Amino acid sequence: MENYLNVANSGLLFLIAAVIFVLIVCQSIIFFVTAWKEGQRRGIEKARMLKAVKSSAVLSIVPSIPIVISLIAMAPVLGIPFPWIRLSVLGSASYELMAAGMGAEIMGISGLGGDGYTAEVFSSSTWIMTLGTISAPIILVFFLKRISSGFKKVQAKDSTWMHALIMAAYMGLISVFIGPPITRGGIELITLLSGAVIMLISTFIERKFKVAWLKEFALSFSMIGAMAAAILFSNIFKGVL
Amino acid sequence: MNDHGLKAFDDKIHLTGRLTMSIGALMLLAIPVIISLRWNIFPPFGKIASGVLSLSLIMVPMAFAEIFTYAPILGSGATYLGFLTGNLSNLKVPAAVMALEISDTDPASEDAEIISIISVATSAIVSAVIIFLGVLLIVPLSPVLSRPELKPAFDNVLPALFGALGAYWIMRNWKLAITPLVITILVFLAADVPTSAMIPLSALLSVIAARILYKKGLL
Repeated sequence: MENYLNVANSGLLFLIAAVIFVLIVCQSIIFFVTAWKEGQRRGIEKARMLKAVKSSAVLSIVPSIPIVISLIAMAPVLGIPFPWIRLSVLGSASYELMAAGMGAEIMGISGLGGDGYTAEVFSSSTWIMTLGTISAPIILVFFLKRISSGFKKVQAKDSTWMHALIMAAYMGLISVFIGPPITRGGIELITLLSGAVIMLISTFIERKFKVAWLKEFALSFSMIGAMAAAILFSNIFKGVL
Repeated sequence: MNDHGLKAFDDKIHLTGRLTMSIGALMLLAIPVIISLRWNIFPPFGKIASGVLSLSLIMVPMAFAEIFTYAPILGSGATYLGFLTGNLSNLKVPAAVMALEISDTDPASEDAEIISIISVATSAIVSAVIIFLGVLLIVPLSPVLSRPELKPAFDNVLPALFGALGAYWIMRNWKLAITPLVITILVFLAADVPTSAMIPLSALLSVIAARILYKKGLL
C-alpha cells in the first residue's frame, strides 16, 4: 500500500481544508455582522463595540501560538491538512492527540506514526477523531436554545444574582489554570507570578496615570513578560529546578 | 428597545447558530468520508464503532458539562461560535469576559450578548489567520518555534495567561475566587485530574459557593 502520508498531504485534502477554513471565517464574519447591526439598532455606542474588537484581537495573538506549535507536532504523523482543520474547528490539541492515538491503537498499532501506521490506520484515526467530537455540535443544535432560555429566566428574575453566577463560573474556570502551577511550583509558578505582577503594575499605571490604551494591551504585555521571565529563570536555575 | 426586537434577535441567533453548527459538523464529517471514498480505505466498522462509543462515554457528559459552564458566561451566539471554532478556555472565554469589562458592559445584560459575539468572532478570525499563517510558513517556522531556548516560554503560555488574568480578576472578585481556588489547589495536590474534567466541577462548586454568599448578603 502506498505511504499514507501521500494521502494525508494530498492536494485533495489541502483543498477540503482550505474550503473549511474559508467557511469557518465566513461564519465568524456572519456572526460578527449580525451582532454589530443589532448593536447599532439598540444604540450601543460604536466606540464600545470597537473596544471589544480591539481588546479581543490583541488578546488572541499570543495564546494562538501554542496551537501552531501543536500543528507542527502533529504534522509529521497526520500530515498538515487534517490537524489544521481539527485545531481550527471544534478542536483542542490535547483531545486530538488522544483520539488520534486511540484510532491507531484499535487498529493494533502501538501509537501514532509507529511501524505499520498505514493509510488504513490513518483513515481510522480520522474517523475516530471526527466522530468523537461530533457530540458537542449535536447537543448545541438540539439543546442550547432551551438551556439559554433557562439562564435568561434567571437573568430576568434577578440580574444581580446572574451577574454573580457568571463571574463565579468564570472564577471557577480561571482557578483550574492557577491551581497546577501553584501545586507544581518551579518555572510554572514563577511564570504565573510574573504574569500576575506585570498585570498588577500595568493596571496600576493605567488607572493612576490614566493611560487608557494600556488597558487593551496590559494582558498581552503581561503574557509576553511572563514568558520572557520563564526563559530567564529557566536559564538561571538550569540544573536546580 | 422593545421585547419584540430582543426576541427576534434571539431567534435569529439560534437559527444562525444551528445552521452554522450543522454545516460545521457536516464539513468535519466530510473529511473521513472523502478519505475513505477517494482512496477506498474503509477501516473495520466494528472497531471504529467501539472506539467511538468508548470516546463518547467521556465526550457526551463532558460536552453537556462544558455547555452548562460556558453558555451563561458567553450567551447563546458566542457559545455556538465558540464551540464551533474551539479553544474556549484558553482563548474565547477570557477574550469575551475581558471585552465586556473593557467596553463597560454588565455581563448580565442584554448588551453582553452582542459584545460577546463581537469578541468571540474577532478572536476566532484572528486565531484562524494565525493558524493559517502557521500552515503557510510551517517549513521556515518549525525550526524557530522548536528552538530549545524558546521552549520554556511556549511551555508556559497557560501560566503566563492565567497569572495575568488571575491577578486582574481575583483583585476584583476575591470573595468569589476563594472557593474555587482553594478547591482546585486541594484537588491538584491530591491527584492529577485532567483540566477538562476539572473546569465544570470547579465552576459548579464556585457557583454553589456564590449562591450561599449571595443569599447571606455577603457579595
